[in-house]
Amino acid sequence: MGFFKNLFGGGEEAKAPALNVLGAPVAGEAVAISEVSDPTFGQEILGKGVAFRPSEGKVFAPCDASVDLMFDTGHAVSLLADFGAEILIHVGLDTVNLKGQHFTVHAHNGDKVKKGDLLIEFDVAAIAAAGYDVITPMVICNTPDYATINIHTGHVAPGDMVLELGK
Amino acid sequence: MKSFTHVIADPAGLHARPAGMLAKEAVGYKSDITLAAPGGTADAKRLMAIMRLAAKQGMELTVTCSGEDEDAAAAGLEKFLKENL
Repeated sequence: MGFFKNLFGGGEEAKAPALNVLGAPVAGEAVAISEVSDPTFGQEILGKGVAFRPSEGKVFAPCDASVDLMFDTGHAVSLLADFGAEILIHVGLDTVNLKGQHFTVHAHNGDKVKKGDLLIEFDVAAIAAAGYDVITPMVICNTPDYATINIHTGHVAPGDMVLELGK
Repeated sequence: MKSFTHVIADPAGLHARPAGMLAKEAVGYKSDITLAAPGGTADAKRLMAIMRLAAKQGMELTVTCSGEDEDAAAAGLEKFLKENL
């Protein structure tokens, strides 16, 4: 813990720059992005991030943001955080092929949203029953803009801190 | 400057995975690369911008490459789009 003590607790040392925080967009278990079997996510082609095994079919805004693109299929949404991060939340793998089935959209392109606002509802059981992996990655599309991306895993409620971003 | 067009064949359109792969391919070139679609234009190196085009099957993309490696960029992206989108 010495590292964190130096970063956050060391009195005489320069203060670490403030980190921007993203909350969990879903309830469930946060896991390393490398656990996502789809290499587009697992190998960080879309950016660094964290993934969730959702226990409830609701996607909430992870921070104050504007909706950049709500896919009309409801299976994914991209957000531009007020602090500048470009965030993609993708519910399940290959779920574009469901063509909107089992998804209900609650926000639209250009909407200003607050952390915790409901964006998408989805039927976890029905998507799994249709043969899709419901693992839900949240990735930072402008990863190169951040020198520091800290990831927190484990059981989470919506809004619990899962990513910290620092320039 | 070098440009070409590609009509999207993927029934799912330009969704997250092909957009990410396209951005990764584009970042490999020094040239400025822009994508023009009916929904607007995007820097092909920026994933969010590509996704914002919301380009669907049957839509025509115009890819324009401008810079020292524009010939290689155009050839590489044309090959990529034919194989993946």
